[in-house]
Amino acid sequence: MENPYVPFPMRIEAVTVETEDENIKTFELAFMSKEEGERFVYTPGQFAEISVFGKGEAPFGMASTPTRPGRLEFSVSRIGVVTGALHQMERGDVVGVRGPLGNGYPLESFKGKNLVLIGGGFGFSTLRSLTNFMLDDSNRKDYGDLTVIYGARSPGLLLYKKDLEGWREREDLRLHLTVDKGGNGWQGHVGFVPEVTRAMAPNPEKAYAVVCGPPAMIHFTLPVLKELGFGDDRILLSLEMRMKCGIGKCGRCNVGSKYICSDGPVFSQHELSRLTGEARG
Amino acid sequence: MSERTKTLRKERLQGFLERLLEEREVFAPRRKGDAVVLERIDSAGDVLLDDENTQASPKFALFPQRETLFEYRAGTKGEVVLEVPRGEAKNQVLFGVRPCDARGLLLLDRVFSADCSDPYYGDKRARTVIIGMGCVHPNPACFCRSVGGGPCSAEGSDLFFLDLGDRFLVEAASDKGSALLEDQDLEEADETSLALSRGIREAAEASMGRLDVRENLGERLNRIFEDPAWKDLAETCLGCGICTYLCPTCHCFDLCDEGTGQGGQRIRVWDSCQFPLFTRQASGFNPRPTVKERFRQRIMHKFSYLPETHGMPGCVGCGRCITECPVNLDIREVITTLSEGNPR
Amino acid sequence: MHEMGTMENALTTEIREAARKLLREKKVEVVIGFERGSLPLRSRPCFVRNEEDVDRLVWDGTCENNLAKYAAKRKAPMALVAKGCDSRAVVELIKENQVSRDQVTIIGVPCRGMLDRSRLESSVSPKRILQVDEKQDRLLVKGADFEETVSRSDFLCDACRTCTHPNPVLADVLVGEPVGEGNQDSFADIEAFDAMEPEARWQYLSEEMAKCIRCYACRNACPLCYCPECFVDATMPQWIGKSTDASDTMIFHLMRAYHLAGRCVACGACERACPVGVDIRKLNRKLLKDVKSLFGYEAGLSLEEACPLATFRPDDPETFIVNP
Repeated sequence: MENPYVPFPMRIEAVTVETEDENIKTFELAFMSKEEGERFVYTPGQFAEISVFGKGEAPFGMASTPTRPGRLEFSVSRIGVVTGALHQMERGDVVGVRGPLGNGYPLESFKGKNLVLIGGGFGFSTLRSLTNFMLDDSNRKDYGDLTVIYGARSPGLLLYKKDLEGWREREDLRLHLTVDKGGNGWQGHVGFVPEVTRAMAPNPEKAYAVVCGPPAMIHFTLPVLKELGFGDDRILLSLEMRMKCGIGKCGRCNVGSKYICSDGPVFSQHELSRLTGEARG
Repeated sequence: MSERTKTLRKERLQGFLERLLEEREVFAPRRKGDAVVLERIDSAGDVLLDDENTQASPKFALFPQRETLFEYRAGTKGEVVLEVPRGEAKNQVLFGVRPCDARGLLLLDRVFSADCSDPYYGDKRARTVIIGMGCVHPNPACFCRSVGGGPCSAEGSDLFFLDLGDRFLVEAASDKGSALLEDQDLEEADETSLALSRGIREAAEASMGRLDVRENLGERLNRIFEDPAWKDLAETCLGCGICTYLCPTCHCFDLCDEGTGQGGQRIRVWDSCQFPLFTRQASGFNPRPTVKERFRQRIMHKFSYLPETHGMPGCVGCGRCITECPVNLDIREVITTLSEGNPR
Repeated sequence: MHEMGTMENALTTEIREAARKLLREKKVEVVIGFERGSLPLRSRPCFVRNEEDVDRLVWDGTCENNLAKYAAKRKAPMALVAKGCDSRAVVELIKENQVSRDQVTIIGVPCRGMLDRSRLESSVSPKRILQVDEKQDRLLVKGADFEETVSRSDFLCDACRTCTHPNPVLADVLVGEPVGEGNQDSFADIEAFDAMEPEARWQYLSEEMAKCIRCYACRNACPLCYCPECFVDATMPQWIGKSTDASDTMIFHLMRAYHLAGRCVACGACERACPVGVDIRKLNRKLLKDVKSLFGYEAGLSLEEACPLATFRPDDPETFIVNP
């Protein structure tokens, strides 16, 4: 029987520095065996636990899309022991991976609907995965209008700049970038994500809103979506709690009767409002 | 009932245990200084069967406080080799487990087998037989009856012993238990023994009473999540881990790497939701920043969340958290206070 | 459940009176004292904020917690019921700027020593104690079908046997009559320990540490352990592992003892809190003895005396701190 605590090894193929302060890097990992690659079937919104042997493990949302098999991508913000160690690693180094974990975005429910993806800062990781997934030729016709609102504190802190350039060119996606503070020759919008959302006024009819970002951003964006008429069951959030085992056993991510790692991390606002006050936070 | 209910004269207990020891590791209660501990025995002497529960719960036998999940080492070509330790895989018997603790293991069974089943717990569980021992004189801090258990309940045991005075009543409560009985030479339980056992059960239960706790406690707790009563109840809590570590059902853990990049192991260690950094996130934000939130979490988890997910409370009424808490916080008082219409 | 001797009765009355007055005159927002516990032989800390709750307060030989634990970083003005050792802890906390002098009103209680519950329970086991009446220097121990009289001095907590300051060293309100003082601590137990061979000492300490379950009750019961992030929780760098590995556990206790050197007031709350009976005080007492003999200092006796391990004087024999 499979042992859910034991990772399998993956090799670092590429490291991309995402932000000008170099605090966020994206790691592209390659499977070391074909079977492992075939077994790793994931959906956007899921995450994996990445091991730096000797240092420990940490959870990261999938930043890659399953429509590009053979590789996994994770964006890592340097903040502690494991992420600090990861940031020191280079192409060719080996890490451990446990996953896919979590519930992922409800793609079936999204079919035929319009999607409004709202992301802030580092939280944009899984929304990038979701966007690229839906934009893929094999998937695009399954989904309606696609609006992406993405904000960072400053232009240098925007992630996935190459993806953003590509998305800008597309007609089947409405992209709106914003920064809290301009500079660096930034020509685009300056303002907070909730305000931008209000200004763009996405239509709630036949639509889902997916919100991913720091607590403050979520806190101010939710009322805007409500004002616009989005129902609680049409607003999805990816919750963050300290996670360890990733399989709903160690108790760390327990909120109400749920485990963020296995019942989530994606929850609808409707589900969250039925959890205890901790989730409403 | 008669094939499955026997008696064993006390002077023959030694022989019974020796027979078990032939093929299995046996854990039994023994006195150690001021306390009673469940430990591995090599011989059948010195087993203590007074009405005093063990200091720690028996969960360590299935869920050790420190356990190696796998070893890793750097290979010669830059790869990493992982190896899950192969234990000795010996069968084990936990003898003298009180009904509360046996029930606690039932909850752990549900937690560790749910969704991604835990092979470390599962392996040990499959090799373990629980021989329960009823409580003839429950302690003042015991309240198993108030959380769905009972002092002479065989729930969770494979074989169940009840002290009748000069002999034990021995009941098979599962197939594993029946199989054990076949291996031993016990007498049939006669009507006198059965009647005696019924009397002892009734007396034990009567001596305990029941707490005044409402039926739908979980729902009530959800509704009063923000009530100021929590602050008062938690005010004296020191935030140590005694309650969670001695508890038969608490199972939170951490995963740590010990070693260098070249080689080492990943271990699982007990952790506690009572510790301040348990939920602190990498950003520094902690959703449970003070003792109040952490105290509330323990109560909510035991009496609302676990019942909702697993159909039984996360508390078996063993009373250890009450007797060992350095400031005598009493979980019975907490749940009766919160049950009331208007918490203090 | 626990009848008090007349001495304790009088102290209870005086404590309640003092609390009532302080609350009525709004000198404090909270009185931190003891109330009856939920089991025989237990009392426990309680927070009283209203005059009508003042009768919850009690005093007897089971008031074993060090309430100074609740003083550090508390913003509101408070009153604390304090034995000799507890008052010493308050003195140290004031010196360490964890609480200011004018914030704490100490209700000082002369202490005859706290009862060792576990020794009392073991002495009658398997019979169970329902009640203990404290009568002067005797204890009347009662159960369902027995009654025994024992000597109080046989059942004092270990820490109380070596107590040198049973009367509060600092108090705003002093209840009762001072108890006899003048006990000198000869540290005979530590001298005996020091006289053992190193291997034997290591063996003893290792056996004690093998019991430890890393619950941190010792640390959390100690009023002088108030670091917002304890060294055991540090990850960058990580000083010790989290598990019950023998060397990690030993280092936890050794380091904690060193962090308390010159600050520990020998109250014994750590040892009483420990659920598995680790001999924690051995380490603390060793350092108490060393600090006393090296610096002539005992913690918590005076607000004016600076802690020698936290003070640099120009005439200190070692200048490493200025000439690294």
